[in-house]
Amino acid sequence: MARHLIDWLDSAASDDAAALATLVSASGSTSKKIGAKMLVGRDGELAGGVTIGGCVDAQVIAAADEIVAHGGRRLLGISLDDDEAWEIGLTCGGSVEVLIERIRPPSTGDATAVAYRAAHRALDLGAGAAVVRVLDGAGGALAINEHGTRAGTLGDASLDDAAADIAREALRTGHSQSVTLTTTSGEHRVYVDCLVPVARLLIVGAGEIAMALVRFANELGMHTIVVDGRDRYASRERFGDADEIRVGMPSEIVAGITPNSRLAVVLVAHDYKYDLPVLRQLLRAPVGYLGLLGSKRRGAAMRDLLRADGFTDAELARIHTPIGLDLGGRSPAEVALSIIAEIVAVRTGKRP
Amino acid sequence: MSAFRAAVLEHFRHPRNRGALAGANASADGANALCGDRVRIELLIEQGRIVDARFTADGCAVCIASASVATEWARGRSLSDMSILQTSIVHELLGGAPAPGRERCLSLPLDTLRRAADTSRTS
Repeated sequence: MARHLIDWLDSAASDDAAALATLVSASGSTSKKIGAKMLVGRDGELAGGVTIGGCVDAQVIAAADEIVAHGGRRLLGISLDDDEAWEIGLTCGGSVEVLIERIRPPSTGDATAVAYRAAHRALDLGAGAAVVRVLDGAGGALAINEHGTRAGTLGDASLDDAAADIAREALRTGHSQSVTLTTTSGEHRVYVDCLVPVARLLIVGAGEIAMALVRFANELGMHTIVVDGRDRYASRERFGDADEIRVGMPSEIVAGITPNSRLAVVLVAHDYKYDLPVLRQLLRAPVGYLGLLGSKRRGAAMRDLLRADGFTDAELARIHTPIGLDLGGRSPAEVALSIIAEIVAVRTGKRP
Repeated sequence: MSAFRAAVLEHFRHPRNRGALAGANASADGANALCGDRVRIELLIEQGRIVDARFTADGCAVCIASASVATEWARGRSLSDMSILQTSIVHELLGGAPAPGRERCLSLPLDTLRRAADTSRTS
């Protein structure tokens, strides 16, 4: 969630107002992702951005100034095909739509502000949340977290239900999007703003595969946590790019990390002394991915031991072992690539 | 299967005294920096005697089995008895000795137990 929006929601005085501009759709090539936001204050202050800048941002700011002063909301369509720039190859081409609306602090009951505040609370607890707004009609905002809890309304119960369904689906992939929903009250074009906690990769076992995993995870913007009982392995010298390095009893360290659907856990120590106690900690935790390095035979033996501890077949089926997509590689980097690929495939629903 | 190996596997699958000890008044952590075994021993000591002993560990089967029998052995003993806790006692309790390269797995919980008892004496 955009930091500037959170800060404004937290600090704005009750009589304050701003314009929130959100990139809600894009065709062609744009440098900003759908969901990018800009906040335009009453005194002209700017935070964030929705487009590539230049003349395009200027149009958004001009419309935002108008809305801060006089209220209302507007869906602004902007072409990125500047003729002169096109001639000399300086434009990416395409078009964007930017929703601009006046918002007031949550304490005033402003629907958009209240919905984003609810979504932010869900994020604080490690859960993804979506904020849905109607693009082709009146205001209203609906927040839905990944557990299905709702706050606010779009003003129509059947539309709220349809929006909640599409929001849950969007949260699975994490992609914000504009879609048209058909309900008993007609067709409605809505924007689903997906707000997901930062994806984390928890790596137990600080060997060579872990080193490659950190490199790949960094490329994907994941927060990496490397855990081992041996400080000679889990060292800053070996893991210069890791976000966190924790040395201690792995099962205790893992128990102190809040699980959620954006947490992927990979057990690559290839040592049952860590694998078993960590799996006991996590098999009933709501992590998004749980992978165990080892052969089918080793995985089956591990499941047998855990079954004797009282874990059910459904719980044991959550363990991805042998770990990773079968890409045929054998080197640590190739194995790490296959693991990262499987984590992405599970997150996007391409793999159970 | 040797008697030692059978005993180790039995203790690994069904360890005695595993888990945190509520009300413990002495404890120590031990680690093997190379293999990664990690052990914590917690003791409840009253009037110079170990009333209760429990362990927490992410360790191999030999390490877990050693911690299991050592905490059993320690219960009811005086702090001064801890000085006689040597690997030979655990060999006897487990019916044999590990391979030469695994002695450290067996001795780590014993070292940790003695240090836990020492923390009580020095505090």
